Amino acid sequence: MNYVSAILDAQDVYIRVFIGALRWIAPVLAFVLLFRCIKSLLTFRREPEIWAWLNLAGGRKLSVTHWENVIGRSKKSDIVIDFAAVSRTHAVLTRYDDGSWLIRDAHSKDGVFVNGTKISAHALQPEDVISIGGVEMVLQPISRRQEQRLAQLRTKASSLMSGFVNVFLLTVFQLLCCLAFLLGGEEGTAQSVLMGFGGLMVLQWLLLLFYVCIRRTSYEVETIAFFLCTMGMAAIATVAPEEAVKQLIAVVMGMAAFLLVGWSLRDLERAKKMRYVAAVAGVAFLLITLVFGKEYYGAKNWLIIGPLSLQPSELSKVCFVFVGASAMDRIVNKRNLLLFIVYSAAICGCLALMNDFGTALIFFCAFLVIAYMRSGSVGTIGLAVSALGFAGVVALKIAPHALRRFSSWRHIWEMPLTGGYQQTRALMCMASGGLLGLGAGQGWMKHVLATDSDVVIATIGEEWGIIMVLMLILAVVALAVFAVRSAAVGRSSFYVIGACTAASILLVQTILNALGTVDVLPLTGVTLPFLSNGGSSMICSWGLLGFIKAADTRQNASFAVKLTKKGVEDTDE
Amino acid sequence: MNRLAGRAWVTIILAISLLAGFAFFIVEYFIESEDWVVFSGSPHVYNGSNIGCGVATDRDGVLLLDLSGERTYSSSEAIRKATVHWVGDRKGSVSAPALSHYSAELAGYNVFSGLYNYGNAASVATLTLSAQVQTVALEALGNRKGTVAVYNYRTGELICAVTTPTYDPDNVPQIQEDSQTNLEGMYVNRFTQSTYIPGSIFKIVTLAAALETIPDIQEQTFVCKGKLTIGDGKVTCEHTHGTQTLKKAFRNSCNCAFAQLAQQLGGEVLERYCQQFGVLDSVHFDGITTASGNIEAAGATEVNMAWSGIGQYKDQINPCGFMTFVGAIAAGGKGVQPHLIDRISADSFDTYEAEAETGKLRMSHSTAQILREYMRYNVSDKYGDENFPGLQVCAKTGTAEVGGEKRPNAMLAGFVEDEQYPLAFIAAVEDAGYGSEVCIPIISRVLTECVQVLS
Repeated sequence: MNYVSAILDAQDVYIRVFIGALRWIAPVLAFVLLFRCIKSLLTFRREPEIWAWLNLAGGRKLSVTHWENVIGRSKKSDIVIDFAAVSRTHAVLTRYDDGSWLIRDAHSKDGVFVNGTKISAHALQPEDVISIGGVEMVLQPISRRQEQRLAQLRTKASSLMSGFVNVFLLTVFQLLCCLAFLLGGEEGTAQSVLMGFGGLMVLQWLLLLFYVCIRRTSYEVETIAFFLCTMGMAAIATVAPEEAVKQLIAVVMGMAAFLLVGWSLRDLERAKKMRYVAAVAGVAFLLITLVFGKEYYGAKNWLIIGPLSLQPSELSKVCFVFVGASAMDRIVNKRNLLLFIVYSAAICGCLALMNDFGTALIFFCAFLVIAYMRSGSVGTIGLAVSALGFAGVVALKIAPHALRRFSSWRHIWEMPLTGGYQQTRALMCMASGGLLGLGAGQGWMKHVLATDSDVVIATIGEEWGIIMVLMLILAVVALAVFAVRSAAVGRSSFYVIGACTAASILLVQTILNALGTVDVLPLTGVTLPFLSNGGSSMICSWGLLGFIKAADTRQNASFAVKLTKKGVEDTDE
Repeated sequence: MNRLAGRAWVTIILAISLLAGFAFFIVEYFIESEDWVVFSGSPHVYNGSNIGCGVATDRDGVLLLDLSGERTYSSSEAIRKATVHWVGDRKGSVSAPALSHYSAELAGYNVFSGLYNYGNAASVATLTLSAQVQTVALEALGNRKGTVAVYNYRTGELICAVTTPTYDPDNVPQIQEDSQTNLEGMYVNRFTQSTYIPGSIFKIVTLAAALETIPDIQEQTFVCKGKLTIGDGKVTCEHTHGTQTLKKAFRNSCNCAFAQLAQQLGGEVLERYCQQFGVLDSVHFDGITTASGNIEAAGATEVNMAWSGIGQYKDQINPCGFMTFVGAIAAGGKGVQPHLIDRISADSFDTYEAEAETGKLRMSHSTAQILREYMRYNVSDKYGDENFPGLQVCAKTGTAEVGGEKRPNAMLAGFVEDEQYPLAFIAAVEDAGYGSEVCIPIISRVLTECVQVLS
């Protein structure tokens, strides 16, 4: 019996030692994991894919490296033909999913001729002679065999092994978190904690398994997302353990959205059709909220359906990216932007009526990114005006409500019981946690309102340390930088715009949420991607991740990018 | 497509904004997190309205207060009464900000591990005060209201600072209106929060200003006929001092002579030197800001200006501020700011350690030298060295008329000229009588005790 009581006495000591050790182990493990993922995302060699050659009359051969190519005299064109008679932006050469090619005149001065006939758009047949500014050329698409050889020569995105190691590291991390909560958390939460973390483990291995089946090897982006979800789960485990399962379901739905977006983007023609569905859905979500929505904290952005509470504006973000992305042949035709501006205005109107300042801000930033990427120059006057109009409506309609939040900005210590309530507690708790945190379940932040959504980083900062918060921020930045790096080898502008806009939305939300919590910016009540407790936000985050994944053209990297016909594996050694 | 790729920098701008914003936060964290962590609602640090962790002891390790739980004070009533104005009571009735100023250190906070070590080992704040000297000083003050303080003018350590009336934090008396007038103002720390009419101790200031501005002042002689008519008023002395040198006039504390000095200086010059000497400045230490003094000599009528040079009229000094000024004279013109908290240690390493904070240069070295000589002469020739056995004391007494039916306030300020016991002191006793009669015995006892504690 003495042994038993001795063991029971020693238990507390063991727990303290474990939690103390985890303070160091957790950030180290997280760092190694993120370092591995980020390194491969940020250092991959950007190898252009070659889809065709343009054989010029003089025997010159120009490589065609994208699915959408601008032909012109300008140095920034994808295919540069430096002849005086060639317009700066002369034509757009587009490849379709089935391997067919189309050339379209881009308002050039002298026009585009195919086989001597002036055309505005023409589906190219083999041996068709294209004449641009007097320069004659023939398009020679690569053969299927060449395609396969090229795919073979390209470096694979990353080895499957590396993906396994990453997921293994993440699993160890999750097990340690789980154990820490079981030992140090409040009583009666064990089941929720096990369900939450265990569920994440199962999901990440299932997705990896799925990738193995479809011969995709790159898993860094997903690993980062699962890591963020794990930290979100850690916040929920301490603040509202009973919601762990709900959050897990949200992750499942998020993954479904991720796969859906990826699948839609896999086929550019399908993606273009999906735009219309997305356009309608985007506005519909907002309209439904306007009609049936409930108002919380001054913003009418909640939809209650039975036991479910939804924030449809989150889903509209994904739709908005779909609508905003556009193929190159449409981009060079400036009139198309007008439709998008009108659409943005409609969205803006709905948000103004909903009084949702934070979301309006996110849409506005997304709008600016899309508008800039599509128009190029720092904006035509019309663009600037419409942007201003957008901002004006936001300011006029929403400002009085939002101003109250702004009045406490950088003055939170003067109003710790009113406008600065959440931020003062957040900073206090983050300072209490120090760089390494107080340990899982040991924080006090959970007693403050909305600690697992609006000010979730304070909860994580207090229990896991500011170093961990820094890593969360770096993870989001890494996703964005990856999207930008991929742009250079993007197949279609549709993917590039989609990925950059999606990354921008993730960044803006992180900026508003994280920096708002620590009073660097006003607190706007925006969710933190992947981390905040909330189903809609989780679905939106994963949906946006789908766009980033679709722009990943590394060989065998992305499920949202089709493999060369019959796959590389068939011709592997 | 190349064009589009070039435009992707907009996303990078957002990423940079995020990183820059977070970097800004990190910088703020390293600068300000010590303030954040002790935010008044923090359950990590506070226990109700009071800081709820750590221990405060005197310079020799005598327990003054255990802050944890319901607060445990010293078991000695005398020590409790002598230190309540520095460690505070349970309800926060006394403004005693020093401990809460270091609440982050007391909670074991550091910027690296936050409050992780909180509760593992109690932090100990060692005060510079000596409980032994405090109780002696309190006893010496008896039932009179006032304050007595001693500090080391080389290191800044405040060895003694008592204020009366005081009370027992373990047995807070009920104050009833009208009745217990002897407890009136018991929540006030007179050393830091009160101002007094200085009376003749202010002659040190006038003398210093004269030494700094009038080249032949030491060769001058001053005639005292017992009174001096200035304009429509007059300045009087208790005795007729006759013709005196400056040194004698200071020893005699001759009002007529100092009225003449003030006239030679003029109100503006006197005020300017008050400013240069920092006599009236607030003193800041350990989260405490003392009251500042007052003078309105410039623009006053001739006779009022003369009285101002004698330490009457609208002159006001704060005991702590004046003691610091006297300490600067002792230290040769440039003094050291006093402080109350010597160190805070947790787990046998120091989280805070006081450093001697040198103040500004208040007066030339030679002026300080002459002042020391004159003040020494006061004691050796008049107050009597036998009051301070074994010590070379330099001082100036004051008897400040406060008007009404009250007796004058008795004042004494000075220092010990001894590198082993570099102590500067001040005593202010209200409604008491002559400075020499009331204050010298008090300071005598307190200094003797200080020497004993220090050796």
